[in-house]
Amino acid sequence: MALWPHRRPKNSGVPKGWGIRSMDFILDYMSEQTFWTILFTIHALLAVALLGALTHQAAHVLRQPKTAGTGFLNRFSAVSGHAYASAVCLLWVLTFIFGAWIYVKYRVYVRIPIEQEGFYKTLGAFEMKEHLGAIGLGLLPLYWIAWKRHGEANLDAMRKGSTLLLAFFCWVTFLVGHIVNNVRGFGS
Amino acid sequence: MSNADRSTHDTSLSFAIAFAIATPVLYVLCEMRNWPLLTYHPATNKMDLFWAPPVRGEGPAMYWYGWVFNMLIGGALIGWLASRFPALSQNRTLQAMTWIVPTLSVPVLIYAMRYFWRW
Repeated sequence: MALWPHRRPKNSGVPKGWGIRSMDFILDYMSEQTFWTILFTIHALLAVALLGALTHQAAHVLRQPKTAGTGFLNRFSAVSGHAYASAVCLLWVLTFIFGAWIYVKYRVYVRIPIEQEGFYKTLGAFEMKEHLGAIGLGLLPLYWIAWKRHGEANLDAMRKGSTLLLAFFCWVTFLVGHIVNNVRGFGS
Repeated sequence: MSNADRSTHDTSLSFAIAFAIATPVLYVLCEMRNWPLLTYHPATNKMDLFWAPPVRGEGPAMYWYGWVFNMLIGGALIGWLASRFPALSQNRTLQAMTWIVPTLSVPVLIYAMRYFWRW
């Protein structure tokens, strides 16, 4: 399946390689820019949902409130952490897949102009975002099991560690994505 | 929880612990040594197995997908091996390494990307 649908004239002389342009039919119904904008928006919305869920969970493992109590912080952290685990795993994987998909567009249409401008730290931050997303993927099975067995005290450290790491990775990747989008992204 | 359930849980926990420790190590190795399972050429939508250089006039080559595939396949293999030893899941050192190793991989990756941090 082609990762990157785009119109190309027939007999353009570009070799086909392994790629099969099975996604090209979409461009009969919308412009290329609209297609990528939709993908990017879905990626961003999934990331917002993931960030919210992980932040609630991280607050929960840090504060461990017994009851909801009063006040914003108590209410914010008094969530059933285990109820979020499956949703967080699904959201991480979906956000990752959409991110990996639009990464193709970034590599050609965003990264190259940023390189030409010499914004190397911005590029490095984005590479770091990709690294953190991938390493977070490796934590998901442990995170999920640790939360599904939330009654077992011997998993507390792994539950806390994996949750806080995923929350940290999520915040960094979210902010870096936002910054790169400001440098050259949506609609540029 | 029955003994059978406990055994299944410990098998999956051993897998998850090994996977969590192995994947950051494999990823950092693949990134630093540039060992992708495949190379993707986005401008021409071509893929090559393992590492391939960018082709002149055909845009950049992407290796990140190949590193991720290597990390997932390698991590799954190591996790499967670890799942043969359910007792590993009770090892406190291994349990601590599940968050220490991913944490340590961050400064290592920052160092590996020193090319980008020039002033």
